[in-house]
Amino acid sequence: MRHDSIRHLVFPTFGSILLIVVLICGGILYTANGDASRDSLITQMLINAIIVLGIQIYIGNTGVLSFGHIGFGAIAGYTFAICAISPARKMMQIPDAPFGLANVDLTPLASGIIAVGLSVALAFFVGMALSRAGVRSGAVSAVVITLALLFVVHEVARNWTDLTRGGKIGLSFSPFGNATLEGKNWIYVFLFCAVLLARLFKETRIGRFAQCVREDDLAARTMGIDPAIQQMWALIISVALVSVGSTLRVFELGSINPRLFFFDYTLLTLTMLIVGGRNGITGALTGVVIITIGSELTRKLSELDIVALSWILREGLTDLFLGGAMLGFMILRPAGILGDFEFDHWLHERFLHRQKKKTWTSKEEQIRSKVVKKNQTVLNVEGVSVNFGGFRALGNVELKATGDEIVGLIGPNGAGKTTLLNVITGLVEPDSGRVQLGEKNLTGMQPHEIARSGLVRTFQNFRLFSDLSVRENIEVVHLMAGKYRSAQTPDVDTLLFQAGLWEFQSLRAAGLDYGNARRLELARAVAAAPDFLLLDEPTSGMDDNESMAMIDQVRTMSSMVGSGVVVIDHDLNFITGICDRVYVLDQGCVIASGTPAEISADPAVKVAYLGTTAEAT
Amino acid sequence: MELIQQIVDGLGRGSIYALLALGIAVIFGVMHMVNFAHGELITVSAYTSYWLLTSGFDWWYVALAIIVVAAITSVVIEFVAFRWVRGAPDFTMLMTSFGVHFLVQALFVMYVSANFRQFPRPDWIFNTWKIGAINLEIYDLAVIATTLITLLGTYCLLQHTMFGISLRAAAEDFDAAHLMGIRSNRVIRGAFFLSGLLAGVAAVFWLMRSGQAGPVAGLNPMLKGVLAALIGGLGSLSGAVLGGFALGLVEVLLIARLPTEVVGLTDGIVFVLIALLFVFRPQGLITVHHVERV
Repeated sequence: MRHDSIRHLVFPTFGSILLIVVLICGGILYTANGDASRDSLITQMLINAIIVLGIQIYIGNTGVLSFGHIGFGAIAGYTFAICAISPARKMMQIPDAPFGLANVDLTPLASGIIAVGLSVALAFFVGMALSRAGVRSGAVSAVVITLALLFVVHEVARNWTDLTRGGKIGLSFSPFGNATLEGKNWIYVFLFCAVLLARLFKETRIGRFAQCVREDDLAARTMGIDPAIQQMWALIISVALVSVGSTLRVFELGSINPRLFFFDYTLLTLTMLIVGGRNGITGALTGVVIITIGSELTRKLSELDIVALSWILREGLTDLFLGGAMLGFMILRPAGILGDFEFDHWLHERFLHRQKKKTWTSKEEQIRSKVVKKNQTVLNVEGVSVNFGGFRALGNVELKATGDEIVGLIGPNGAGKTTLLNVITGLVEPDSGRVQLGEKNLTGMQPHEIARSGLVRTFQNFRLFSDLSVRENIEVVHLMAGKYRSAQTPDVDTLLFQAGLWEFQSLRAAGLDYGNARRLELARAVAAAPDFLLLDEPTSGMDDNESMAMIDQVRTMSSMVGSGVVVIDHDLNFITGICDRVYVLDQGCVIASGTPAEISADPAVKVAYLGTTAEAT
Repeated sequence: MELIQQIVDGLGRGSIYALLALGIAVIFGVMHMVNFAHGELITVSAYTSYWLLTSGFDWWYVALAIIVVAAITSVVIEFVAFRWVRGAPDFTMLMTSFGVHFLVQALFVMYVSANFRQFPRPDWIFNTWKIGAINLEIYDLAVIATTLITLLGTYCLLQHTMFGISLRAAAEDFDAAHLMGIRSNRVIRGAFFLSGLLAGVAAVFWLMRSGQAGPVAGLNPMLKGVLAALIGGLGSLSGAVLGGFALGLVEVLLIARLPTEVVGLTDGIVFVLIALLFVFRPQGLITVHHVERV
């Protein structure tokens, strides 16, 4: 079951329809009395919803904070206005428009398409810049780059008067005959597309990879996920949606000036996104509704003339509400009201999963019997040296492992074991030497390329995708393997069951206890169907019984994908219990290697590992 | 000659940026948060000086008041907002600082006015001395001298007092410092107080020049401070100071060289340059190694 289409396509679509129905019903009820101002409020809210969903696609999935989306919106809005305003009106407003734009006369639809195309093209370059800067969740560099975009667009719009008519007046156009947005029907169509797009994006491979990068960018890379590509797609789709929304906004208002798409609107849309829950579509829409109601209410209240309350009911109350909501939620409930809750997801968990659980046990037997043939690939570490400043972390290390064995790596603290693992997985670049997998030279490759080549690791201090569920943690890596690894992978259910995590599959990874988190690390790595599993202290913090159980687990799970194992550990019992061959590292050098029996007899090892010579004799 | 003039101007400008950037770097050191609400200290100072100056106080008293008010405001903001998000993910901390920024802005719109208010600037400080071809404003001398004294004071504070040592230790490794018995509450509060003092000194000179108070008065200085701190690599205190001076110099040199039509866009250009700096040197000009342990 590589892609569970009921869970990732049918249910989300159903959920999106449900959301839209709720919105439409709410809108119809509110505007039922035929009040024109109510009508325009709803129209604005729906347009804001499209823009917020657009921003959600980027911020929600990647966790990268962007202030630039409204800047993209401004570009789309201006492009739309300049193309769509009739030449006669342009003669009055911007007669000196460059590039012969004063004579351009396009239909609103064509102008809209050009507007979206232009801002998406720009988004591509901004996306390149962002990925060059290596942004990740909550990165300051992203804030600066996107703020720069917002500011520059604003400044240009204010100063390029030939094109934009400057800051004070802005551009305006007469309504397009009957094509105004007052008949909201096709806004609903746009909104539905937006909801569906955002909801399904969350379930696509790219969306889910992006979420992994959001949760832990390092872990995602070592699992074969390239952050740059996911973030780029998220940005482009998100900017396209924001541009559509912004074009509609300009169309609906009938005018545009630089202030419309600047800080105030950024604040409004970001607050909407954050209050409801930025990681979910249901949350984002809830935020839009709540903030619209709140702003409208505070705006009306601030116009009231009640002497006793004049200290609070005054101009600026709406801004206070927005700023307060942003601050309050960040302090009290940073994930927003609903977090990443989706109604369809909840339904699926509640009804479909229960059934599945029952049918599971019968399958159990056939899984146990399935063992994949071990591979014969050779992992070769040749003369690797690493210096940190003046400190020699690794000196000329040689290590060889084949795909049909379990190789142990022991040594005292600071011996360089983890550093060696970091070199093999591409997180640390060696000063000299090379790492070879079969015929392939891995030295200098990016971590995600190495993972796709067949080397996948676990981490000593967990790096799970903590906000995703246990199941999703395995699922995304499984997806990666399906795309980039030709090797045969066991399905997610089997992995969950084998790791003993079946009961916990809907739990968030962050909620797992220590032992289960370790097992999830292992299962997640196995899901990548690697040629070699590299385990960094899989039993640290476990008692003897658990360690022994872990031996069993490592054996069965690695045999499920037929991968070799390189395991680091302190625990001598564990290492001797599981390994075919053992290397001993001390102060960055291999001091011994051989079978567990040879190693425990080696005097040099006793000195280095067990302590004093007195003890050894 | 022209170049020397520009360097003097640039250093004058850069001094203020350096003080702001240092304040931001100090907070980043203890909290790992880029404080986008740092400019609100300038806003508050601006209104303080507006009220005091229009009530007839002398600039000397006003300057003193500004520094005190900025320091207190800084501590109050920490107490009200930032205390609750210590150790939160970066996203939360960033949005919190923006939340404070917008909230303070809204409070001033509500309780004072959305418009800018002018207040008298001290004329004598803009008198110039002519040395050869160089016009030397007293202001430039004053701001450079004050900044140097302030930086020297801060340096002594950080190097030789218990508080300074704890603060540097916390900036180096907060958890370790905490385990070694450094009181995190005190250090963080102290960092905000220090950062407020520095912002106060910067505010005095910023306001002498601008002579106006408004709800968004703090936006521009905040951006300059953040950008300068980013040039310096955020974690490094000396980097922030250098970043401030560098930013000031670059601005002045750009203004002198840009064609007149685009001089109005200087701020935007500087912003883009720094964004590009990030693109090509994500770690800042002055690298602070911050290796992630796996």
